[in-house]
Amino acid sequence: MAGRYSILPLVGFFILVFAFFSFTATRFASATNIENLLSGFSFVAMLAVGQAFPILLRGIDLSVGAIVAVVGMIVFDLSLIFGVPGWLILPVALLAGAAAGALNGVLVVYVRLQPFIATLATLAAYRGLVYSISGRQLVPELSTTPLRDPWIIGLETYFDVGRFLGISSIVKLPWIPLSFVALLALVAVLQLVLSATRFGRDLFAVGGNLEGARLAGINVARVTVAAYAISGACAALAALFLVARLTTATEALGIGAELTAIAAAVVGGVSLQGGVGTVVGPAIGAFLLGVILLGLTLLGVSQFVQQIMTGVILLAAISYDRLLALRVRRAGPSL
Amino acid sequence: MTELEHRRNFIKGVMLGSAALGAAAAGMFSDTDATSPKLGVRPAGAADRKKMAFIQWQPHTVPAAWSKGIEEVLKTQQTIDYELLDGQNKVEVQVSLMEALINQGASVIFLQPIDSVALAPSIAKAKRADIPVITLNIDATEAHAAHVEMNHYYGAMDIAKALGDRMGGKGEVAILNAPPGIVIRDQRTNGFVDGLKQHHPDIKVVSDQVADWDRKKAQDVLNTILVANPNLGGVYGVNDSMALGAVDVAKEKGLIGKMVIFGNDGEKDALESIEKGELTGTQYTDVYQQGRFAAAAATVLATGAVPASAFGEQGRLLMPYLIATKETVGEIQPAQRW
Repeated sequence: MAGRYSILPLVGFFILVFAFFSFTATRFASATNIENLLSGFSFVAMLAVGQAFPILLRGIDLSVGAIVAVVGMIVFDLSLIFGVPGWLILPVALLAGAAAGALNGVLVVYVRLQPFIATLATLAAYRGLVYSISGRQLVPELSTTPLRDPWIIGLETYFDVGRFLGISSIVKLPWIPLSFVALLALVAVLQLVLSATRFGRDLFAVGGNLEGARLAGINVARVTVAAYAISGACAALAALFLVARLTTATEALGIGAELTAIAAAVVGGVSLQGGVGTVVGPAIGAFLLGVILLGLTLLGVSQFVQQIMTGVILLAAISYDRLLALRVRRAGPSL
Repeated sequence: MTELEHRRNFIKGVMLGSAALGAAAAGMFSDTDATSPKLGVRPAGAADRKKMAFIQWQPHTVPAAWSKGIEEVLKTQQTIDYELLDGQNKVEVQVSLMEALINQGASVIFLQPIDSVALAPSIAKAKRADIPVITLNIDATEAHAAHVEMNHYYGAMDIAKALGDRMGGKGEVAILNAPPGIVIRDQRTNGFVDGLKQHHPDIKVVSDQVADWDRKKAQDVLNTILVANPNLGGVYGVNDSMALGAVDVAKEKGLIGKMVIFGNDGEKDALESIEKGELTGTQYTDVYQQGRFAAAAATVLATGAVPASAFGEQGRLLMPYLIATKETVGEIQPAQRW
């Protein structure tokens, strides 16, 4: 069933869109622009990759944007108010994100809330939490103090690949941001988890047929909580790179990010009906949205039109997903 | 800062602004190219076009009026392409737009930063690419070419004085506030509270609630506040939309004339409401002019005659303002209303 959706059409579409803008928008195919794309959308891709897990379970995680803000503010407070060293903040931040995500899973499994309702509630609660722990409110002068801890700020690093390969004199390659390298590692690890471990198989089973999975003896509760925890941890990772890029955290960080993440995941071929999808897809989906946004901006197209375009692409992706689902149904039970 | 220094800064601001406009006019009408040794009329070829853009916070009357003011000055110079970009209320979108503009080689970037620190790395990047950045209303922690700002703190102090005068120096007031985390909110709130302390120490702030800059939300919030504080004598809306929400409530409850309501910004709807005798007053800033000042400074910088790096420190211009009430609102000309 996992193979129902091939990512090849997505890759093809990505290349097509990329080529279109390369020919029409000046400076689109420049090294600097690619650099902007990689550094500006790696964090969106991380959110989308995390979002894939709840959606695979026929769920959704609306709280990822709020988790980004909570983790951002925890980093801010620990570093600027409590002076905690950066090497300690990084794991704490990731754990906090995973815990916030796990709480979503617990609400879904044990309180039996609809994922939409559960994560909508935590979205509001986590946003409130951000305001109440905001170091910017507690110590007003911190709102104009940038973070300086090298462990955190160091996450915003670029690698000059062209020079490393010794070809910088021949072709100007974009510098690769550390966030993109981290994203590649994240995708590799999670794709491996999804396709080669017991947990991955269980996840597809639960998402495809919950009752069947339960009867087959799969620990549905554990799988669900773990999936939401992964989403939270990915949001925390995204928050770290975002905070490094901005040198601060704000209360409004990540507002609306959940919608972009869900859009990227769906465009990336994760079926909202559950049980179908990859991790690579959402990452490509995120960059596809990025290519469209940057390309249209460089073309001088109004941003309202850009938002309409994003909506149209999302609709197209969902329709495509429905079409595939219908075709499978018509072909008869695949079991 | 003392009152005297404040006045002095105010005058300095006006002078700097007029000087910038004058310089821009000079730039506009002479076609000499300061960057090339060749003198004479420059052909307006496509390659010669300069790009300028304004990254706003989110769609609102204030940035829309700035943009109109900026456009007025820039469109008379036929070699400049100007574009308004929307930050969608997200710092990361603003950062991404900054980078796109730097990549495009913009001549000048106008920016209404959502956060002073978060946009600082992007401003530093623009500086490295030799692109001057002019901020509007919210300053950034990274020094840049110029900053043009409404006089939030002292304006709010004057509002406190005017509001207290109307209330007879005693009673209870409520603040309809913006969500926390924005410098403007702090400046306007602190200015108002300090102003009350200085001019009307007997007036008490009994409630300070968040109404999200929004008229509808302000109605709900004020209704709740009135339940707890039936003797409320005054309301300060940190922007005009919220103050107009308070006017809606006062109308409904027959409190017009009894409750003193002040707003801030001075948008068209607020001025009309003052003329009708509903809203008591507001701090009016000529936002078109604020945009024109910024565009004028941008023109000077973009011609290359004066590079941003030539200034030892960041230029800073505080906009003059008027506390508009029924008595003074007539001074504001139709062309100045936004």
